[in-house]
Amino acid sequence: MALVLISAALIGFQLEQMQLLAMIQWHHFAYLVISVALLGFGASGTCIALFRPFLLRNLDWLLPVLLFVCALLMACALPFSKGMIETFDIFFVVVEPVQSISLLLSQAIYLLVFFFGALPIGLVFIAHSHRINSLYSANLVGSGLGGVGAVFFMGFLWPLDLPAVTAFLPWAAGCLVATEVRRILVCSTGLLSLVGIVVLLVQPQQTRFSEYKDIRRILDIPGAAIVAAQPDPQGQVHLVRAPTLRYAPGLSLTYTKEIPEVSGVVLINGDWFGVVNDAPPRFYQATTTALPYAISMRERVLLLQAGTGAEITLAQEKGATTITAVEPHQKAARLSWSGFGLNSPFTNQEHQQEYVFVQPRTWLARNQTKYDLITLPVVGRFGGGSGVMALQEQYLLTKEAITEMWHSLSVKGVLQISTWVDTPSRNTLRLAATIREVLEEQGVNPALHTVALRSWNLVTFIVKRSKLTSGEIEQVRVFCNDLQFDPILLPGLQTEERQRYHTIADPDFFSNLDMLSSPSLRQILYAGYAYDIQPTSDGRPFFSQFLRWQSLPDLTRLFGERSVSFLELGYLVVLVSFLQATVAAIVLILLPLLHVGRPGDRRLQGWAVLYFGALGLGYMFFEIMLIYKLTLFFGHPLYAAAAGISSLLIFSGVGSRLSSWVSSQGVGLAPIALVAGILLLLYSRILSPILSWAMVGSAVWKSIVFLLVITPPGIIMGMPFPLGLAQLAGQSKRQAAWAWGINGCSSVVSAGLATIVAVEFGFSVVLVMAGCAYVLAAVAALLKSQP
Amino acid sequence: MNAGIDLLNVLKSRAVTVAFLWAVAAVVFTLIAEISPCRSEPANGFEQERRHMVTTQLRERGVEDVATLRAMATVPRHLFVPDSLQRSAYADTPLPIGHGQTISQPYIVAYMTAMLALEPHHKVLEIGTGSGYQAAVLAELTDHVYTMEIIPELATSADNRLKAAGYTSVQLRQGDGYNGWPSAAPFDAVIVTAAAEFIPPPLLKQLREGGRMIIPVGSPFFVQHLMLVEKKNDEITTRSLMPVRFVPFRRKE
Repeated sequence: MALVLISAALIGFQLEQMQLLAMIQWHHFAYLVISVALLGFGASGTCIALFRPFLLRNLDWLLPVLLFVCALLMACALPFSKGMIETFDIFFVVVEPVQSISLLLSQAIYLLVFFFGALPIGLVFIAHSHRINSLYSANLVGSGLGGVGAVFFMGFLWPLDLPAVTAFLPWAAGCLVATEVRRILVCSTGLLSLVGIVVLLVQPQQTRFSEYKDIRRILDIPGAAIVAAQPDPQGQVHLVRAPTLRYAPGLSLTYTKEIPEVSGVVLINGDWFGVVNDAPPRFYQATTTALPYAISMRERVLLLQAGTGAEITLAQEKGATTITAVEPHQKAARLSWSGFGLNSPFTNQEHQQEYVFVQPRTWLARNQTKYDLITLPVVGRFGGGSGVMALQEQYLLTKEAITEMWHSLSVKGVLQISTWVDTPSRNTLRLAATIREVLEEQGVNPALHTVALRSWNLVTFIVKRSKLTSGEIEQVRVFCNDLQFDPILLPGLQTEERQRYHTIADPDFFSNLDMLSSPSLRQILYAGYAYDIQPTSDGRPFFSQFLRWQSLPDLTRLFGERSVSFLELGYLVVLVSFLQATVAAIVLILLPLLHVGRPGDRRLQGWAVLYFGALGLGYMFFEIMLIYKLTLFFGHPLYAAAAGISSLLIFSGVGSRLSSWVSSQGVGLAPIALVAGILLLLYSRILSPILSWAMVGSAVWKSIVFLLVITPPGIIMGMPFPLGLAQLAGQSKRQAAWAWGINGCSSVVSAGLATIVAVEFGFSVVLVMAGCAYVLAAVAALLKSQP
Repeated sequence: MNAGIDLLNVLKSRAVTVAFLWAVAAVVFTLIAEISPCRSEPANGFEQERRHMVTTQLRERGVEDVATLRAMATVPRHLFVPDSLQRSAYADTPLPIGHGQTISQPYIVAYMTAMLALEPHHKVLEIGTGSGYQAAVLAELTDHVYTMEIIPELATSADNRLKAAGYTSVQLRQGDGYNGWPSAAPFDAVIVTAAAEFIPPPLLKQLREGGRMIIPVGSPFFVQHLMLVEKKNDEITTRSLMPVRFVPFRRKE
């Protein structure tokens, strides 16, 4: 029971930290948390290897003390580290090494939490190695439950309060194993830990968002205040009332009327979600997004990722009869209306209107309705994102998504996507390339179906299902002339029309845009452009990742080392944290183990290095890939992480439990690892189609399919490690310690490496590599059986 | 025997651990000493730093407007940054001034000023006073500088700084920049130092025919490009300007 509790606490704590870092900083730090957790586990294994006799001799009092210390650290981690996390400046990470060190130090306390949590687990494994299968099983099942529990509690507890609540689990585990209650050390540690947890629980925790978050910018406005806030697993929701704040993206410079102040702004994890208006603003008809209505009547309108529903106003004004707004974040949308006493954003009840709370991709897959207009939220961040969203999966902008939208259009229907202008162009060119390639795959000439126009800061693309008529082309010209927008893609467009009102800085922009029209020239542009602008796919859905490593020296030389905003930072941060984690894994896990002998000598057979290293790589590659793939399936990274980690660990726990029976049937290590490898290679071909097929169903249906899919690899992948460890421990406990360390080290490295491989080559390659790692483990096991 | 070896190993590892901790402590203290703000100011009033800034950050990067360069060489930038950051005042970087605001990188200030093409008789409106540095630079070029700041604390401190530095002609008002300064309109130039998703219609209305407006686009810390807005013959045109011109790198075929 104690093992289940501490395991649940560690996974729960891990998910909470991912949520907290995503809130204070950004989503890409989530993978840093996984690396730190694995590092703590690996370092604990090394500690056991070095001090095993002492630790085992004092196990009775040491176990509760370690658990109490873990509980106290868990509760204290946030207050101690939040200052460093808050002040960490992502934009200086490349030029100021202090920033990287600050990031590293902020993670040190978390490393200690996982170290002190993993140490008792490892000690129990070693001390009772004859029961390793059932113990490993309890560990994995507890971890799985921890993941599910964390997501459950995130629904109604604040992210800052969760760690202290979670800290009760290791404390309770400590009480369960505290057999020598009379020992002063045990009692005092337990008491101190309890007092610490309670004090931190009753003391309200507060934190500041990164100053680059939208919420900080808005709260700086005099009189701005948070009027409502709600916790949610998808991110903390804030409703901010900000007097004098006005919002009119894509507004024509010819518009002379008043822009009304907004009633409030809704933010998720401090990032912009949408505005709430008291009365429907009238300016929308003077924005680039009004173009679809200017060229034709739009009766059935679909707003994907509709946010607070601010754009419903325009559809209503223009006489749409059926409006469907699809928004995945139910709590944020509801708060935006209820905060101002409304039940829905629909003020006009004459027509059929509905707000649907599902993932846009799920809606597109499920629904067979044909729409006259489908709109998406503006792509990118105003002024450029500088890569902070680089590792955020954007499944609404992949080729598959655009294809689904194309098929959901009526004959006269149009798809409308806008992007903020960025210089040098990245979003615009990638979006244009995506539309081009999708339309070519549909067998139509993109030039005859596509319009793009530009204001001073927004580019809007219109893709029409049928060919644009000459009347529609003329209406586009009239719309542009009236509002002083420049058409940049339009059949029969003259060169001088493209920059009549808005001249751009990059003289090559239009030639680059035109190169996209020819498949051969397109490939030359893809290969030669300083940024990666190729369309994204569901297998590599990182629309905001533009960094090309080979361009980095040239960009640095051109813009100067301080002009890091051109360098696309998000991905660089992953690389920095990956390098840090790799070095830390070697220093904290492998180097100390040299104390007990080098791998390869008679104390540790060569096969074990390969075997346990490959298992670490394979398991983590599969786990990280699963989190990414499930983001589309379940709709949010945190749900994906909780479902992926929990289910995989629970089924691996079952596998571990079954492994002794399998072993007793005479099945060796090699066949088991080989089956796992072949299964993962098979999954690299079938997993995506299965998940796509199941995505149209309800949440229950999706969960059933997912469990059926995850069970076989989960169970089989849970077998090789305990079987290998048991065999090794039977020969020498020191060898087992080395195996533990190597496995931990390769897990740490693979967590970051999997992300890098996913960004560069896609998820299927990660899965193939996971399969190959298990095949490698099978080969290593065969080496063992050689005389 | 095994226990003896283990004990020896433990002692050895303890010695290694102690040495390692001392090394870590030394590194940490060195870093703290390095990143701590310098409390002592150079006695020269930063003239040398300012000259160096003008040469290396402005002239060498293509800012050629003589009046702007003279203004940048004259205004004591260190008086417009928090005391703790005075040593970094002339560095090639924006600096935080509190309330989530920044004083722009010297190059951006100079580039924006030069793009306004100010004459001594021109009337200029600045939206977003911040520390007051940009207003001081503008005041070196014309006596008709109007500046607005929405955050009251910043408006007060900027007013004090401008007066202390001798820029008494600058008119400063605390308020929402959206509405501009109708009583002083029309303006020959408008400079918006805080990026916005849209250009407020009142500001365009208050821009004189033939006037220029400049807006930075990007995060407060890293301007990515500047937008020059011009009003001519009832048409409003924009021109995107890059502080550093981007040249796509083509690979050899």
